[in-house]
Amino acid sequence: MTGLRRARFWVYGLLAAFIIGSVFPFYWSFLVASRDSGMMTQKVPPLLPGGNFFANAARVFDTVPFWRALGNSVIVSGTVTISTVLLCTLAGFAFAKLRFRGRNGLFLFVIATLAVPTQLGIIPLYIAMADFGWAGHLPAVIIPNLVSAIGVFWMRQYLVSALPDELIEAARMDGCSMLRVFWHVALPASRPAAAFLGMFTFMMSWNDFLWPLVVLDPENPTVQLALERLQSGYYVDYSLVLAGTTLATIPILVVFVLLGRQIVAGIMAGAVKG
Amino acid sequence: MRHQLSRVGTLAIAVLAASVAVTACGSSDGASGGSTGTSGGKVELTIGTFTEFGYEDLLTEYMRLHPNIKITQHKTGEGGPYHQNLFTKLAAGHGLEDVVAVEEGYISDVLARPNLFNDLTKIGPKDVTPDRWLPWKYEGGKAKNGALIGYGTDIGPEAMCYRSDLFKAAGLPTDPEKVAPLFATWQSYFAAGDQYVAHTHKAWFDSDSQTFNAMHNQLPIGFLNTDDSLAMETNPQIRANWDTVTAAGERGQSAKLTAFSPEWNNGFKTGAFATTVCPSWMLGVVKEQAGPKNSGKWAVTAAFPGGGGNWGGSYLAVPKQSQHPTEAAALAAWLTAPEQQIKAFQKTGNFPSQVKALTDPALLSTTDPYFGNAKTGEIFSEQAKKVERAQYKGPGDGKIKENAVSPALQAVEQGKSPQDGWQQAVDAAKKIIK
Amino acid sequence: MSSGRSARLAERGPTGRYPEVPGPVPQTPKLTLRDRISGWDVKFSPYVYIAPFFILFGLVGLFPLLYTGYVSLFDWDLLDETHKFIGFNNYIDLFQDDQFYTTLVNTLSIFLLSSVPQIIIAVLLAALLNTNLRAPTGWRIGVLLPYVASLVALGIIFANLFGPNYGLVNGFLELVGLDRIDWQASRFASHIAIAVMINWRWTGYNALIVLAAMQAIPKDVYEAALIDGASAFRRLVSITLPLLRPTLIFVVMTSTIGGLQVFTEPKLFDSMPGSNNGGSSNQFQTVTLYLYQTGFESQHLGYASAIAWVLFLVIIVIAVINFLLTRRLAGTGEKK
Repeated sequence: MTGLRRARFWVYGLLAAFIIGSVFPFYWSFLVASRDSGMMTQKVPPLLPGGNFFANAARVFDTVPFWRALGNSVIVSGTVTISTVLLCTLAGFAFAKLRFRGRNGLFLFVIATLAVPTQLGIIPLYIAMADFGWAGHLPAVIIPNLVSAIGVFWMRQYLVSALPDELIEAARMDGCSMLRVFWHVALPASRPAAAFLGMFTFMMSWNDFLWPLVVLDPENPTVQLALERLQSGYYVDYSLVLAGTTLATIPILVVFVLLGRQIVAGIMAGAVKG
Repeated sequence: MRHQLSRVGTLAIAVLAASVAVTACGSSDGASGGSTGTSGGKVELTIGTFTEFGYEDLLTEYMRLHPNIKITQHKTGEGGPYHQNLFTKLAAGHGLEDVVAVEEGYISDVLARPNLFNDLTKIGPKDVTPDRWLPWKYEGGKAKNGALIGYGTDIGPEAMCYRSDLFKAAGLPTDPEKVAPLFATWQSYFAAGDQYVAHTHKAWFDSDSQTFNAMHNQLPIGFLNTDDSLAMETNPQIRANWDTVTAAGERGQSAKLTAFSPEWNNGFKTGAFATTVCPSWMLGVVKEQAGPKNSGKWAVTAAFPGGGGNWGGSYLAVPKQSQHPTEAAALAAWLTAPEQQIKAFQKTGNFPSQVKALTDPALLSTTDPYFGNAKTGEIFSEQAKKVERAQYKGPGDGKIKENAVSPALQAVEQGKSPQDGWQQAVDAAKKIIK
Repeated sequence: MSSGRSARLAERGPTGRYPEVPGPVPQTPKLTLRDRISGWDVKFSPYVYIAPFFILFGLVGLFPLLYTGYVSLFDWDLLDETHKFIGFNNYIDLFQDDQFYTTLVNTLSIFLLSSVPQIIIAVLLAALLNTNLRAPTGWRIGVLLPYVASLVALGIIFANLFGPNYGLVNGFLELVGLDRIDWQASRFASHIAIAVMINWRWTGYNALIVLAAMQAIPKDVYEAALIDGASAFRRLVSITLPLLRPTLIFVVMTSTIGGLQVFTEPKLFDSMPGSNNGGSSNQFQTVTLYLYQTGFESQHLGYASAIAWVLFLVIIVIAVINFLLTRRLAGTGEKK
């Protein structure tokens, strides 16, 4: 951005205001988690955390198998993420760069599948999972999510412009098989977009609730199912629930801050050409 | 465009064929996570519950008494998702636990499908007889064809909770014995409400729908007639209750707080209303939501307008899906015996539905310091005996309450006229039972 | 399928990003087996690559969709064992169902209230981020933060913020001398509150996509404008926005498909916990919420399936319009 002046202070001011707005709900849930739910009635809530967070967190671990849930969620979201990134890049590569009969029609079909309302698929899908003997086990939440239409769409959009045809032709001239071209040319070129797709998929999978609720056993839960259990009883102890959500958000937040640079770069690179 | 779509069509068929092929080679015996098996001579049973049933220690005890049985408990937090899961798996035909808990509000849906559940009089232990339970509770677990679908666990006998400090400030009596006459009939209850509102300009009860539900639960039949046609338009009592409650609401008696919403929870803390209908399980709610700061301010009395009433409670049922129905029924029978339900009561406060439990010293001696050392065990035992019969709840009754009547009452509180609100409720109810 | 040459390529550098040297050109004049294999490779590889998606989609997308279409022709109650075939009666009923139109209007209203301000704010935010900031990555991570929020927490927080009696938003309105608003009761107010929930989550994400597109605009265009003395606002309107059009349409398109299926936010917003009513008079019930309620609460699976299919077609129509629009306005970004 040479030639443009350094940002003025009001730019920082506006951005800071926006970020305060972004952070506030996180902070607020931490506040409730560190106090008791009584603070929710106060007209002017206290601004500093109280001392109850660890006590509330300990209650979370007493109430639900939180470690197991965390482990399950990492396995599920991790597997789903890796597989989605690989398979979507593969399909996206084919749609973007390879010529084959029915390409446009098939691609239109991929987009159309985005419009299938997921809520109603639950019963037929459950019947299928039960037939396969997967109900109650992690594959039931992993297998249906191994690849996603939005991912195929996203990778195709990126690769159309980001991967020059000359590179592919050169590799082909070199005698590379298609799979090698994919592995050595397309995959490396799609890294930025894949980083974003990875994060997107991970978050979707991490936050999925309805399907795991139906298909998994409650004592073998994912994090979201464990959080739901915290709302048991006729009354809801918000301190407990929000302590749980805070605990569940921390790992994500850590990963997010550590990988933030790549993720941001991924979005930036992936979106250049709609 | 048409060209592309026709290709899509061809492809769809091809994919379908492929997926069928995949399905064909992938399908196995159909065993799933929820169902049970036998391993090493041990019978494995599963039991599904929601919120807190207080069964953890009891299940351990049962396994000790029956070394050949291994039990896994599936706990879900909220009743809503739990029952949705229950119905999904009933529909799918797989995956349910051997013993499932069913809440009163959903039992009518279960009773309407006796073919999906085992008749406990046939497969249950022979020493379990109807006189174990309060008669209306036992009747509540029977399907129309006479099959016993559920063994009763707990009940929710109703009493009234009130804020003694707010009563005092409004010049009303505060002593439970002196308060009781105010709650003798619904007429006296709303009259006292008018007095309270005139004095304090604050609300008397929490919401129209909580109060309406309590009144409605006292009618012999619910929203549906025994032939399962809609009773709302044919039974003038339902309409009369509607008019009484909404009129009181319009006179300022309702705090307009939707039950169980965060706002309602806050209303307990700030004293936004002076009374609330109190099924036994509600004590825990009041305690938790009003918080330690308000300890001693809430009181409960063994009086309920128009006699007794019941709100809540559950049943244990054994679905046909179960591979060990006899063992499952034996477990359900054991858990719903008075001895066990008293232990569960001591753990969670779920009030037992068993006749013998109601006279048990352990139950009668229970007091609650939060409510000024009220003899809660005695109060609710007394209230439980006042319930005369189980209300007839046809299939869809619970849904009419949740999705037609309660929202319409909320709409009236939000400014709709009672007449329009009633019409909304009736229309929505018709759609539900369609 | 590892031919000698590609093995050599692998030796040259298995992780080498771009093989810059083309290597020896194949010189065989006749069609050898290898050539034929290579031909099949070119011909069939694409299908193999897209196969995982379509196979899985057959299971989790197409099978449920066709099953749903089949079910929609029946009077099918969730737990009934026998179902009556009623042809298109569910669809006929649906087109006379006031609640369906209510929910359709709600969906469109929430969609517009969430996507329009979201895109405007995202563009402005991107413009702010596109200035010469210190620690740009830090600011970018900051605006993306809401994206990692847990939905459970989100429901509790926003129900609390927009509570009619004790909510912070109404407290603030009173503080500045305005009337409190019943965010649950009023149809329009409830749509705004739900849109705020959606916007809070997605604005930062869209801002980054727009920012990326902004950074792809050649800098000399701006420099020329600077020399001409164009103001920052002028530059945004006459240079940046026109060049952003393809990206904006992409954002609109993905948010159309998501926005027309909004489910979680209105469900969490209802003051009656767990309710699918979308407010006391369905004032903020969306089509997916209605479909979910019909199928799982009322257990009219046949009717719910009809709703699903009509919703599916509505989305398809809007998405296809968007797709064609995108292609047209973005020009041909692909080689035929």
